[in-house]
Amino acid sequence: MGWEDRPRRPKGGSGGFDKMPEFDLSKFKPPTIKPGHFLIIIPVIVGLWLLTGLYKVDLQEQGVVLVFGKHTANTVPGLHWNIPPPFGKVIKVRTEEIKRIEIGFRTEASRMSRQSLTKESIMLTEGANMIDIHMSVQYRVKDPAQFLFGVADSFRALRDRGLYETVKNVAEASLREVVGKNNIDDILTVGKSQIQQDIHDQMQKVLNLYDAGLTVNLVQLQDVRPPKEVRESFRDVNNSEEDKNRLIREAEGYSNSVIPEARGKAAQIIAKAEAYREQRISLSKGDANRFLAQLFEYRKAPGITRKRLYIETMEEVFSKMDKIIIDKKAMNSILPLLPLGGLLPSGVK
Amino acid sequence: MKNLLSAIIPVIVVLVLFLASETFFIVNENEQCVVTQFGRFVRKIQKPGFHYKTPFVQSVIYYDNRLLDHDVQPTEVVTKDKRALIIDNFAKWKIIDPEQFYKRAKTEAIAKDRLRDIIYSELRQDFGAHDLSQIVTTQRASLMKQVTERSNAKVQELKMGVEIVDVRIKRADLPPENQMAVFSRMREERKRIARQFRSEGKEEAQKIRAKTDKEKVILLAEAYKNEQKIRGEGDAKSIKITAEAFGQDEEFYAFIRSLEAYRKALVNKGSMVLSPDSPFLKYLQKP
Repeated sequence: MGWEDRPRRPKGGSGGFDKMPEFDLSKFKPPTIKPGHFLIIIPVIVGLWLLTGLYKVDLQEQGVVLVFGKHTANTVPGLHWNIPPPFGKVIKVRTEEIKRIEIGFRTEASRMSRQSLTKESIMLTEGANMIDIHMSVQYRVKDPAQFLFGVADSFRALRDRGLYETVKNVAEASLREVVGKNNIDDILTVGKSQIQQDIHDQMQKVLNLYDAGLTVNLVQLQDVRPPKEVRESFRDVNNSEEDKNRLIREAEGYSNSVIPEARGKAAQIIAKAEAYREQRISLSKGDANRFLAQLFEYRKAPGITRKRLYIETMEEVFSKMDKIIIDKKAMNSILPLLPLGGLLPSGVK
Repeated sequence: MKNLLSAIIPVIVVLVLFLASETFFIVNENEQCVVTQFGRFVRKIQKPGFHYKTPFVQSVIYYDNRLLDHDVQPTEVVTKDKRALIIDNFAKWKIIDPEQFYKRAKTEAIAKDRLRDIIYSELRQDFGAHDLSQIVTTQRASLMKQVTERSNAKVQELKMGVEIVDVRIKRADLPPENQMAVFSRMREERKRIARQFRSEGKEEAQKIRAKTDKEKVILLAEAYKNEQKIRGEGDAKSIKITAEAFGQDEEFYAFIRSLEAYRKALVNKGSMVLSPDSPFLKYLQKP
């Protein structure tokens, strides 16, 4: 703010641009510097130079401080001072920024689409089968000094890319190393999370060996598929598994309908038999009781009762029938000749 | 006089600064260097900090102190079981002795050329001694370690002041022309698995159906067994009850039961031939 306090145009009243031509160049003289002035000028220059040592560290960053080339401190977000160049230097590293690497595909930010790279994504599994994997890795700088002084990347100028080439190479090597140890069926089905973990551990191990100052946050297998040349066959295996389950379900359905039906039938048979048993017992008891009652009364007057019962029965029986009474003597001679048919009711042969 | 002094002071300042820049130099944390005098090695500096040299006659050559990258084009190797593999590897190396490096390599590019030759021949040799499955599955890590160690030993013999820290296989894949064979083998394998699944399905289903049928037959037979037992109980009890009752007067039972039977049997219209001797007609003849 200091320079604004000084009168910039001592003669100009309003100080507008239209007054500029009035400034007379001929009156301008080069300032005469006396040796004593250096006693002021040099401290001022030194002071201004020291002021340039002020620097700001943003929220997502850390400052790596070098004094005479030596790493002396890391600074947190805020305003700081370090001895200015050429003696000192501050390199800011975005430690909170998550960096991302894609293996086997590239997301095109402008089109939100994915470009598959078969050269990267097709690899060998155990048993020399091939698989198509898209993987993404997220990582960030853990130790900014290590990050700066540990590994030189092919993209040396682009520090912000965060050792992109190195991490990508390590990611590819780890991915293939882990996949090469695993069976294709495991990778496609149950083994995915274990494989992600193994790749993560392997990457971290190698990056630590390099003293890269990086930490791997997340390894994600995005797409794990058979190569497109054989995808149809794999799908057929899935279908066949479905077929298998369907056949079993159908058989179970058959079982579930037949067994209860048979059980029902068995229960019905038993119930019928039990009904028969009870019926038989009750009927017999009924018959027995009736007989005993008749017998009780019969014994009081056997002769008359016997006759009465006989005659009553015969009366009832014979009253409903046609009767032919033939003398006993005629019986033997006539009977064979008798036209029995005519006597029988029509329709009965 | 005073004016002369005023003119000289800036010149002196500039000269002093120039002299200082020729004398003093800073080696950063990520650097190491050699000081040379007319191209002849004088000393090496591997510690970061503030250093000085004889101005004008000596110069400083800086080298990277960090782990350096060496990524080469993929090459095709033939494994022990005579299969072609495309190997894409990269190496990490560093300059450990700037003096030797200055004397024998001078620049990173020259050093990389040497490294490429050494690593390539080691890789070829080791991969040629192993089967594809060993390279891909079982011995990948130990092979990489072996290649690293052997390449490094060879590099040490050259005394370039260079160390190979890590040789890593980025990719070990089949060449495109060999992939087709793998694909058709994979298809066959999948067909076999699919067939197996379907047969297993049929097998399981048949087992379930057969078991079901068996259970059904057993259930019904069991039911029949119980049925006969229960019916038998009923019959037995019935016989017992009636025998006890009717046994009290067998003759009366026969009489009364016969009468009942007549009544039931002879209800329908029909003809009966009777003899006048019939007890029923007894009074018809003789009142």
